[in-house]
Amino acid sequence: MTDLALMTAPSPAPVATRAKIETKNLDFYYGATRALNNISLQLAPNTVTAFIGPSGCGKSTLLRVFNRMYDLYPGQRAEGEVLLDGKNILVPGLDLNLLRARIGMVFQKPTPFPMTIYENIAFGIKLYENLSRSELDGRVEHALRGAALWNEVKDKLDASGLSLSGGQQQRLCIARTVAIQPEVILFDEPCSALDPISTAKVEELLDELKAKYTIAIVTHNMQQAARVSEFTAFMYLGELVEFAQTTRIFTAPEKRQTQDYITGRFG
Amino acid sequence: MMSEHTVAAYDKELGTLGRNIAEMGGLAEKMLSDALDALMAMDLDLARAVVACDPRLDALQRQVEEFAILTIARRQPMAVDLREIVAAIRVSGDLERVGDLAKNIAKRTLKLADVPRIPRAAIGLKHMGDLALLQLKDVLDAYATRDIERARDVWTRDSELDALEDSVFRDLLTFMMEDPRNISFCTHLLFCSKNIERAGDHATNIAETVYYLVTGTNLPVDRPKGGSSIMTSDV
Repeated sequence: MTDLALMTAPSPAPVATRAKIETKNLDFYYGATRALNNISLQLAPNTVTAFIGPSGCGKSTLLRVFNRMYDLYPGQRAEGEVLLDGKNILVPGLDLNLLRARIGMVFQKPTPFPMTIYENIAFGIKLYENLSRSELDGRVEHALRGAALWNEVKDKLDASGLSLSGGQQQRLCIARTVAIQPEVILFDEPCSALDPISTAKVEELLDELKAKYTIAIVTHNMQQAARVSEFTAFMYLGELVEFAQTTRIFTAPEKRQTQDYITGRFG
Repeated sequence: MMSEHTVAAYDKELGTLGRNIAEMGGLAEKMLSDALDALMAMDLDLARAVVACDPRLDALQRQVEEFAILTIARRQPMAVDLREIVAAIRVSGDLERVGDLAKNIAKRTLKLADVPRIPRAAIGLKHMGDLALLQLKDVLDAYATRDIERARDVWTRDSELDALEDSVFRDLLTFMMEDPRNISFCTHLLFCSKNIERAGDHATNIAETVYYLVTGTNLPVDRPKGGSSIMTSDV
């Protein structure tokens, strides 16, 4: 099949040969409040899956379950299964540091550490590995190149990470995530605080990153979801309403609720 | 019925597009109908009126296109809205072509003024014209009411028009062989029959667009075919 045919071929449901992440009947609670209701879906390896839906629909919550970020807060719990390469990550006693090294996360607001650009990247690597200075230099450069930031910062690696522009800071955070060589990267509205040029750079980066990583992205920008992802999940009130190929979701979604949301008809 | 957009101006813009298409449809239908009447009755004034209508239809098409592009830029439409706008662009293109074809028939009518007529040679053409007009009217109704069954009927019925064109082709050939003095008149009619058949094809295109607009999927590539002559379909 040609590329064009692949892009336009309708497919009713995304079927991965082997899911990188799979949730089975996942429920999530903030105390007594149920925020996710029976979510079952699969993230295919080396693809970008976008999560869309109105505020409070549970998309960020779902992302936070994938690397058990919720464990940092008391009273929050997940029920059901989340399989990473077939192994349930919700089991007690799991090494969460190791899990979060395998599943990195980039947040809405850039969150550089108050240290140099170099140290921002090296800090994470040093937590997991014991490298010589030259090896570390190489890894830092590699990560910054991977985040399309190297050319802009190579002459000022000792400057503070906070001295960078918002778009650069966000790419620094992406570099920091990439540096520890995760398998999955979660993006929680990574471009909502960025200007269009920085946004384009991050989107370009997503396209390159998916060759190595499995990517999940939460975004309020539907055009962005349409541009960057292969699969899109529409969530509403904690439920997964529709999950299909992105081309399908944005041209001819099956569910009325999806259609109303993406066309701006939502009450 | 579709619920309204949160942004009311968006609904208004789509409404404007729809009204422009409706106006184009009415105009194209009238042009084709008048062109056929003018041909049958040798009404040269009516033929001139058809030719004079064409610039209005062209202007409307440009208006639809410009407005559609503006709406895409402004709203970044998705799903049914996107299909709606793409459909408007396509349908306006088809209707503009129908107007051109009607204009062609009208111009040929003006040329036929001095050519001796063979009234019985025009009978088949009248049938073709009636069917093409019915197709156009039905498909415009299907577009206005988003009726996919009606659109599918139009799509299927195009084979009848193709078959009629074949039979008109054979009739005209017979008249020409009977008497070479018929050749001039019959050749003009041959071109008119092709124009009518093409107008029917545009009705079929619109039917396909209506189907896509409503369902988000396409009708099959292969449509039931009626005509048999290679010569007519290659003209």
